[in-house]
Amino acid sequence: MAEPTTTGRPFDAEALPHLDALYRVALRLTGDPTQAEDLVQDTMLKAYRAWHQYRPGTNAKGWLLTILRNTFINDYRRRKLEPVATDLEAIEPHAIYRAVEDVDPEGAFFSKIVDEKVLEAIDALPPDFREVLVLSDMEGLRYGEIAEALKVPVGTVKSRLFRARRLLQGSLYQYAMETGIISPREAPHE
Amino acid sequence: MSETLDCQEAIARLQDYLKQELTPELAAEMHAHLEHCRPCLGYARFEKSFLEMLEAQAHHCGCPGELRARVLRELRIEMERG
Repeated sequence: MAEPTTTGRPFDAEALPHLDALYRVALRLTGDPTQAEDLVQDTMLKAYRAWHQYRPGTNAKGWLLTILRNTFINDYRRRKLEPVATDLEAIEPHAIYRAVEDVDPEGAFFSKIVDEKVLEAIDALPPDFREVLVLSDMEGLRYGEIAEALKVPVGTVKSRLFRARRLLQGSLYQYAMETGIISPREAPHE
Repeated sequence: MSETLDCQEAIARLQDYLKQELTPELAAEMHAHLEHCRPCLGYARFEKSFLEMLEAQAHHCGCPGELRARVLRELRIEMERG
């Protein structure tokens, strides 16, 4: 069976362990399980055909996710990314911490929110922000790898990440307040 | 080495520190600052639990078995084509 290899490591051995990550990212990018499955399959076939371009020793996960992301942009995404709102510039890095430091300084509420709600909140982020957050904070790619995948400067990755994390913390805080996961400090008795 | 980092700088660098994206020199400065600044350490713990929650998300969901089988099938066909 003909099988492209790079320095002996077959495609299967390098790529298949990353199917979980590819599917997770595909799900976040498309927001639809059926499309996510098609996107993963297209990505794997493209990656197999392009395997000779993979540089051994680099992060195969990053390489595969770059192909997935490009395939998504070129073949799946219907509408252009909306320009990113600029009124986020003024967000204070620790705004949410300040709001909860008296009742939940360790941020325990984050892990009390059910997965489904966290994913919903991630999906509600603007696409530019969502993609960096998923690649960095869920899939563990380095800033430099994300910059390469997105073809943007590292500074752009960092500023998008900063905003993505602030927005997500804000919406999770909102949810935790509404559902009573965080209860506001009790008013002092007269 | 003198203390060179103030709280504002520490807060600005905190996320890069937690993601291990700082140079060793900057990371050492951050470490030194957090060792004796309780407010910044408190904030660091908060951010850490946020980032850990996101990392954990990744382990809760994976590729469905059917998709895995489909991908393997398609790859075999592609490989046999040569």
